[in-house]
Amino acid sequence: MTTTELPHVARRDVAKPRAGIAIEVRALTKTYPGGVEAVKAIDFSVVRGEVFGLLGPNGAGKSTTIGMLTTTLAPTSGTALLAGFNVAEEPVAARQISSVVFQDPVVDRSFTGRRNLDLHARLWGVPADRAASRIGEIAAALDIADILDRAVSGYSGGQRRRLEIARALVSDPTVLFLDEPTVGLDPRIRHELLDVIAGLHAGGEVTILLTTHYLDEAELLCDRIAIMHDGRIVALGSPAELRADLGAEILELKIDGNAETALDVLQARGVAGDDAFAVGSTVTVPLRGHSAADAITAVHEIGVPATTVTTRPPTLDDVYLRLTGDRLGGD
Amino acid sequence: MSAISPEITLPMERQRNRSLSVVSTLAARRFALTARTPRELVVPLLTPVLFALVIAPALKKALHTSASYESYVAVGTIGLLIPLNTMFSGISVLVDRETGARRELLAAPILRPLLVVGNLLVAVATTALQVAVLLGFAVLRGIHFHVTASGFLWFLAVAVLFAIAMYGIAETLAGRVSRSEEYIARLPAIAIVPWFLAGSLFPISSLPLVLAWVAKFLPLTHALALMRWGLLHDSSGLQNIWRSSNVTAMASLSLAAVAVFAALMTAVSIRVFTRTAVR
Repeated sequence: MTTTELPHVARRDVAKPRAGIAIEVRALTKTYPGGVEAVKAIDFSVVRGEVFGLLGPNGAGKSTTIGMLTTTLAPTSGTALLAGFNVAEEPVAARQISSVVFQDPVVDRSFTGRRNLDLHARLWGVPADRAASRIGEIAAALDIADILDRAVSGYSGGQRRRLEIARALVSDPTVLFLDEPTVGLDPRIRHELLDVIAGLHAGGEVTILLTTHYLDEAELLCDRIAIMHDGRIVALGSPAELRADLGAEILELKIDGNAETALDVLQARGVAGDDAFAVGSTVTVPLRGHSAADAITAVHEIGVPATTVTTRPPTLDDVYLRLTGDRLGGD
Repeated sequence: MSAISPEITLPMERQRNRSLSVVSTLAARRFALTARTPRELVVPLLTPVLFALVIAPALKKALHTSASYESYVAVGTIGLLIPLNTMFSGISVLVDRETGARRELLAAPILRPLLVVGNLLVAVATTALQVAVLLGFAVLRGIHFHVTASGFLWFLAVAVLFAIAMYGIAETLAGRVSRSEEYIARLPAIAIVPWFLAGSLFPISSLPLVLAWVAKFLPLTHALALMRWGLLHDSSGLQNIWRSSNVTAMASLSLAAVAVFAALMTAVSIRVFTRTAVR
């Protein structure tokens, strides 16, 4: 565990969920004023200590889901429980056992880092002596101890993000929400933060719900992933389970012409099954027991106008493409 | 999966007892942020101080009014200072929203009306500081006040209630507009226009009859009349409103009017905040 032991005894006693479930969401729906349905009756549950990822492109409904779970957005219908507390009926209790790192920086920039952490501790009711020791522990664990007494306005983007994560941990949350925690960070800082989050996971004390549209983050950090598209969860499972839906190997063809037509031909000739799909100029064909050599030979014999033909293991991007037709990743 | 329920409920009694400490934390945060931008404290003072120390003596000289006119205008400028400062305080609500800081506060395990109360306390405290500075300048300029202990309490009560009411308007407006430009555009109509009608520079009896009746329904008219009773022992403002000879009764009625306005605007501001902050 790279982070410190962070028990908050008083609250842990009262917030322990039954049956090891930290988050339970049932038919959760959000329709914004104006009629935009951002989240459409989603269901999922997260086991205590698990890192659960909501994966999807911008506009998929990830942040709206986090907004409802953190009670900063009101659900239109459905239920959501945090450690057993209904976010609509017991919002203060639900907030007491959770913390959130928002997608956009949310710190008082004119304050020092320490003052930001102290403010969070006071608002979450952490006793002063406990808060002081906890701030020291977390600052050391996240490598921000040296800058803690400087104004946040002088922090780099990575330091500010670390401070926000530290702040979220000061109250020793049972559930931690990380909403796109690495968006906008340079690659080095991003990987440092991934290590921090992985360290929290290794500790096993905190349940993390993470939203991202980066596949590598989801693969690296998450025990299970829910892929969201257009407000719905279209697939849910571990990264390996999701990839396994496409078999062990896929054939990828870059088509010089209409990829949909090429896909139809491949399916008509039995080279591709129903799970093959075309996006842009690319046709992706799960091999499903066919040998790659046989498939490539068949492609050439049929005369599909492929400029390149490659085989590779399936990725989460392939899973998402098959389910939605949209490509993940990239801001 | 079966539904789950907490094994033990959170100690809500402790939560309630914690409200005081939460409000003090929120107020300390707001005060620290305000103190880092001193111009927020100084700018609202400029116009009232100008009126009290420069324009009022000039008017007295030009219009050949008595020395008491300076005192009359000095109290009248408090009726400009309170709305200006509380409305400026409301800008911090917009700043919190625009910088995202409000989201962290909304995610905190506190009752959300306390977020409004924390801001209100600082707005009232900074306004009190500014009123004290204004009165201090006025005294230094040789302007005379006639203050008794009971008069000071009348003044204090109505000044605090009026500041609470005006902050309620500020918080409500901040919750209703989407951009700070919209807020600032509406500020003069709320903070300055009523001031000209409320007996700040001249008695409302000098106004045309219709406007004099309008003035009687302005909380600021009641506040200024009561402030003048408290600081100058001048009951003419109260008499212009109530047409009675019982000064204590008139003062009580005006104080009640301002108190009702304060309670109403505070309730509205909390309702607007809780409804607009969480969509």
